Amino acid sequence: MIETIYVEDAIQNHPKTKFILNKFKKSRIISINKYGEIFNKRNQNFRIQKANPCLILAHKKDNFVLPAPEGFGIGSSKNFYFSHMYNCIYDCRYCFLQGMYSSANYVIFVNFEDFDISIKKIIENNVDSKVTFFSGYDCDSLALENVTGFAKHILSIFRKYPQIEIEFRTKSLQKEPFLSAKPMRNVILAYSLMPELMSNSLDNKAPSISKRISVISELALKGWKIGLRFDPLIHGENWKELYKELLENIYNNIFLDNLHSVSFGSLRFPKRMFKDIFKLYPHEPLFTSPLSLNNKMISYDIDIEEEMTSFCKNLSLKYINEDQIFKCSI
Amino acid sequence: MNNLKKTKNSIRWVIALKEEAQVILDYYKLKPINEKTIYPIYKNEEETHWLIICGIGRNNAAASTAYLYAYSNASNYTSWINIGIAGSGKGNYGDLYLVDKISTYQRKKSTFPSTLPKANLPKMHLFTSDIPISDYSTCELIDMEGSAFFDIASKLTSKEFICLMKVISDGPENDIKEITRSKISNLIKENLLKIIDVISYYERLSEEEFKIIDKPKLFNEIKSKWHFSATQSYRLETLLRRIEIFCNKKDIEKAIKNCETSNSVINVLNTKIKNNLVNWSKF
Ligand code: SF4
Repeated sequence: MIETIYVEDAIQNHPKTKFILNKFKKSRIISINKYGEIFNKRNQNFRIQKANPCLILAHKKDNFVLPAPEGFGIGSSKNFYFSHMYNCIYDCRYCFLQGMYSSANYVIFVNFEDFDISIKKIIENNVDSKVTFFSGYDCDSLALENVTGFAKHILSIFRKYPQIEIEFRTKSLQKEPFLSAKPMRNVILAYSLMPELMSNSLDNKAPSISKRISVISELALKGWKIGLRFDPLIHGENWKELYKELLENIYNNIFLDNLHSVSFGSLRFPKRMFKDIFKLYPHEPLFTSPLSLNNKMISYDIDIEEEMTSFCKNLSLKYINEDQIFKCSI
Repeated sequence: MNNLKKTKNSIRWVIALKEEAQVILDYYKLKPINEKTIYPIYKNEEETHWLIICGIGRNNAAASTAYLYAYSNASNYTSWINIGIAGSGKGNYGDLYLVDKISTYQRKKSTFPSTLPKANLPKMHLFTSDIPISDYSTCELIDMEGSAFFDIASKLTSKEFICLMKVISDGPENDIKEITRSKISNLIKENLLKIIDVISYYERLSEEEFKIIDKPKLFNEIKSKWHFSATQSYRLETLLRRIEIFCNKKDIEKAIKNCETSNSVINVLNTKIKNNLVNWSKF
């Protein structure tokens, strides 16, 4: 339940604002000038806000689509991302958003039409390249789909460009708008996964791994392309058994013909971000992990990272081809 | 003034009038402090609650909030409360409201206090004015201190630790001139249970924050045995916080017992973390 919704004056009459507000009839609506008045101001406590976040409806002015950071890709020569939302309804302890924003409130940008224009412009400017777009870099791309309808909206754009890939990265069980639509070969529904035991402790408020797997299996069967994102890989007692069990469970339960790609990513925090997140949650089990400063990043030692990646990769190769496997290295 | 204890929960009240404060003083057993101060200050025996009577107006509210902060050695996990009467063109006489938006004549921009989650209390937009207003038609709540209190308090702590509550005392049907001292006290008294309920949330909040930022158990003990520089102290604190989750006090003491320097203490603790294989089934 969202208790308070802040609405920028400029978009009070935007159809998407009305659409969203209609879903929260009991919430208190407060008008604001700019979302910056509430979001990311100093002297806010992310952890306390996270217990009861407010929603902010805003107008995004620029930077609708940005080049994805180096190392964030699944085989295309050009990668871009866009976020119709800042922050997430889940509360994964390793999430970089906790260190990036000082506010845990959700910001939804309602001017989807401006995202469309930017996306089309980038597609037109890159006709000779293989391009992939990533939806939801600053949020989970589907977790609030029933409120925003953003994925449904953006799918209609990509239907017109079958050569351009779009990836929705998520932990949610949201099956709409995919079940009701004809599968699109250029759309990748990418699910973040880790062994259930670790997920129980780290993926707070997110759906269980078993539920995620059953949604993946249903959508793959329906014909949608699936991405599996083992990112971050988490170390701990019995990690080999836990990852073996997870990988085998997935590969044996999904229609592999529709598996687009698998990627493995390491647990890494920029030093400053680690400091901020640790300050918020100093008693979390994640921080008892053997993490230390390596190359300006707080991470597992390189030998742990490499051992985990190659173990998971080798196991995956029993089921899929090498060219389907990627390493996420941001 | 400097020998104040660091208490687990920490509440600071800023209230304009003694009549508004009286019920709070009685309930929380706050006594005047034994020193001459610029504004009257009260505290309880445990020194968890402090209250200042700021007088009317924004200047007084701002100055007294800052004064109480310094005087009572408030921490960054202290919750700050402003309660008082307010005029209203919308609400009912005697009802208590939480404030979630504040505007003034002076500033174009409004400010937005947080309110406690799942509160059963209604919320309103407060307008802080420098002069008494008798035209209630455009404002939900009107007072003369709220904005200044919030501006200063939000420099002292996160806004989640600040709360403004107003009881409606006057409006189109209740003439401001008819407000008396006893009416003011009664208005607050009639809402006491709701106020206590709100305050218990802020007490819990500051207690939880205290637990999070409190130094690890062994920190001072270790620091007293070896000499740590400022950077080393920070590293020690961080390592101890991480280790305390999976290692008990005795094991930590045993591990560092033979260390000769602060550096070797840090190295031993570092190795403990490096070798820790997290047992995820425990969490
Ligand atoms: S689902 Fe993704 S965006 Fe959401 S909290 Fe978890 S890691 Fe962060």
